[in-house]
Amino acid sequence: MPRLPLGEWVDSAVTFLQNHLSWLFDAITKVVNGMYDGIDAVLSAPHPLLFAGILAVVAWWLRGLVAGVLAFGGFALIDSIELWDEAMSTLSLVLVATVVTLVLAVPLGIWSSRSKTVSAISRPVLDFMQTMPAMVYLIPGIIFFGVGVVPGIIATIVFSLPPGVRMTELGIRQVDPELVEAAEAFGTTPRNTLLRVQLPLALPTIMAGVNQVIMLGLSMVVIAGMVGGGGLGGAVYRAIGNVDIGLGFEAGVSIVILAMYLDRMTGALGRQVSPVGRRALARARTSGAKLWNHRPQPAVAVVGVVVLALVAGGMGMFGSSSTATASGADNVGKGKKVSVGYIPWDEGIASTFLWKELLERRGYKVDTKQYEAGALYTGMAGGQIDFETDSWLPVTHATYWQKYHDKLEDLGSWYGPTSLELSVPSYMKGIDSLEDLKGKSGQFKGRIIGIEPSAGMMGLLKDKVLKEYGLDGEYKVVDGSTPSMLAELKRAYAKKEPIAVTLWSPHWAYSTYDLKKLKDPKGTWGKGDGVHTLARKGFSGDNPKVGEWLKNFKMTEQQLTGLEAKIQSTGKGKEQQAVRAWLDDNPGLADKWTPVGK
Amino acid sequence: MSTLQAEQLYKVFGRRPDDAVRRLEGGADRDELRADGTTAAVIDASFTVEPGEIFVVMGLSGSGKSTLLRMLNGLLEPTSGRVLYDGQDLTGLSPRELRAVRSTKISMVFQHFALFPHRSVLENAAYGLEVQGVPRAEREKRAAEALELTGLAGWGDSWPDELSGGMQQRVGLARALATDADLLLMDESFSALDPLIRRDMQDQLLELQKRLKKTIVFITHDLNEAMRLGDSIAVMRDGRIVQLGSAEDILLTPANDYVASFIQDVDRSRVLTALSVMTEPHRPDAGSCDCESVSADTSVADLCAVAARVPHPVAVKDSDGSLLGVVPQERLIAFLGDDQRGPVACSMQEVARA
Repeated sequence: MPRLPLGEWVDSAVTFLQNHLSWLFDAITKVVNGMYDGIDAVLSAPHPLLFAGILAVVAWWLRGLVAGVLAFGGFALIDSIELWDEAMSTLSLVLVATVVTLVLAVPLGIWSSRSKTVSAISRPVLDFMQTMPAMVYLIPGIIFFGVGVVPGIIATIVFSLPPGVRMTELGIRQVDPELVEAAEAFGTTPRNTLLRVQLPLALPTIMAGVNQVIMLGLSMVVIAGMVGGGGLGGAVYRAIGNVDIGLGFEAGVSIVILAMYLDRMTGALGRQVSPVGRRALARARTSGAKLWNHRPQPAVAVVGVVVLALVAGGMGMFGSSSTATASGADNVGKGKKVSVGYIPWDEGIASTFLWKELLERRGYKVDTKQYEAGALYTGMAGGQIDFETDSWLPVTHATYWQKYHDKLEDLGSWYGPTSLELSVPSYMKGIDSLEDLKGKSGQFKGRIIGIEPSAGMMGLLKDKVLKEYGLDGEYKVVDGSTPSMLAELKRAYAKKEPIAVTLWSPHWAYSTYDLKKLKDPKGTWGKGDGVHTLARKGFSGDNPKVGEWLKNFKMTEQQLTGLEAKIQSTGKGKEQQAVRAWLDDNPGLADKWTPVGK
Repeated sequence: MSTLQAEQLYKVFGRRPDDAVRRLEGGADRDELRADGTTAAVIDASFTVEPGEIFVVMGLSGSGKSTLLRMLNGLLEPTSGRVLYDGQDLTGLSPRELRAVRSTKISMVFQHFALFPHRSVLENAAYGLEVQGVPRAEREKRAAEALELTGLAGWGDSWPDELSGGMQQRVGLARALATDADLLLMDESFSALDPLIRRDMQDQLLELQKRLKKTIVFITHDLNEAMRLGDSIAVMRDGRIVQLGSAEDILLTPANDYVASFIQDVDRSRVLTALSVMTEPHRPDAGSCDCESVSADTSVADLCAVAARVPHPVAVKDSDGSLLGVVPQERLIAFLGDDQRGPVACSMQEVARA
């Protein structure tokens, strides 16, 4: 079989689209971003508990008193675990995606139900959309739409469109043909047949489709978090990146609360809007009116929501004007926005939050977001991310640098040299060097616990290090992720089991566990990298002061491991507090790193 | 009042229907076409329905009767042939004109009622008027009148699924009557009802017809129903009309064995009337006695009862009392036995006289 260059075709198609249709993608980005910002602004304006109250009244109206109380409890819980803002941006993301999806899906479903050809063509396309793994089109999505909520929303739309189309088509096709014929027999126009007979009768099925769209949208939220979608997905992604089981669970539970609320509400709304369902409800209401089933009249509910919304609006106006921290000569940034991206590696987290704190002290508004490595570089090359502080050059991240160097600025290395190594716990007697691993694969069950297969050091390990020491037949490198490697290390270390992991210096694991770096007498890992700060092209031109600070930034190993340890001991989710505490312990550093010209 | 006329209607489903019509006209039969994957549903149907008449199309399932009905109001477009109603050729109309005809001149009652479940009974009855664009107040008034006509006064605020089958079909009938269309197409409208209700509905339809004088095309697979309702009846088989005539024509002179086998189970005594059984008077002074007499449309069943009480052939008289003919007892018995031959002489005179 000749090799079909399918991948190359796709590559060139992507390049073509990027070169020729960028105006279209920019327009889409603008519209979707506008919608998202608008909805997010509205949702996050009111005080959380007031907004929870509004949502609870809606639940009370649609489903009853118990649902209302539970809804309030659920949202209060989200507020109390401090994920309210994330939850609201997730809700906005889902709402925008749902609205756009329905605007596309319902007409398409109607069209498919009326034309066999359209139905036959759309079916395989929908299959394709639904089953193609999201990551496959997320990265091209970043190339087209830039990093942030837009590719997340687009991916959500792609993923949740099929059930919307299918349920609409099914609902209309399910309407009794005799009813359609009856409408025609009385001279109804096709348009009115659709509007007065088919759609009202298909509504319960269509609403089930809407429900599916929302549920699938929520399930895409985590994946959207990997490309900077933020919200609860971002929180989950950050949590798994840090092996932070607690935060992961909290964010997960918040998603579940949102999902259940949206599911129950759209289900109930389906009954409310369809004439047949409304009648069934009315009958149920007259038969058994109990307090816990009590549902206010729509008018009462609307008044309740409006009153709460007005109060919320008023509170919002008073509550949103006291965040400035810098003043006078320190206020270099004057509220200018800087966005910093990071990969959840420990030195990356430490330096990113260090700079967030430093820049905020100088009057900048700093937005930090966690990304998957590919997304981070694509986003920075596209100009949506201003800078990041964790590129290991020239070796480890060479592939990214080669691909994007003409769209990036290198602001120099702030730490070095780093080293890559295999490490074992110090209780592994007699294994001190890579040479000692030979013949010991039985102890390690033939496994070396690796990290992300895309990481530069993994390629180096498999292609060079193991070969040079003649270990490649004996050991298998297990692909995984940094968190899974660390979790495995933690587990084995607690049980004093043999384990060999890929690790690098600096890393907090060396201060947490008693580990041995295996010596590399043949020098196969190469010389150490420097940790570089990279910025989008033109960043230091736009922000000369910040560019200068970043270029001059240097950290010693003592400072870095100290900061990392502080962050570790302060706990997850409180990185910036840890940075503040650390800066307080090390007075003078802030002014040294970000001098204000006098 | 206007006449409905069907002229050589053909309906062929499948590929190249026009070719199929040409072949059918050339004498090809339905099975030959089916081998090619085309289905001839209606073949060469022609008939005329007079104003105020109930025209019944009778046939088993698959005989093409529903397809024929749907060509009459343009729900299906004939492959060939014409439908003339009220001086208009319906087959030549644009979709918009056709919709106008359907909304004002022709209405339809369905087998499974086809009531809209999301509309109340009143809204269902008013549907045709709503399509016509009649203002709400007026259409609700007229729909309520139509409901009253079908015996559903006061049920307007109920919902279709709260009603029994018979009542649902009354709503269907009210919906058809409310538009004041002169032509009513009824597609097996009573077939889904149980026998007692069906009989009620037939009676009510006949009752309404006496008052409203609509032109009705009624589809059924039930010959008894056809005989009861139909002023004239078309019997369909395999897409063709095999016999066209009154109930009595069909009973007395079935066009072929198929029709003959069909009418075997019909209760002849209720369909046939004195008019079709009577003969020339047996003597010139017949009917001048004081014995009971019958009218021309008395059913044979009722005639039997009279004949049992009258010692000589029963006189058949018209409304002003003049003699039309007589029905001898043995002729009555022969008719019930479906045998037109007269009595033969018995070899033993004494036995015959006893």
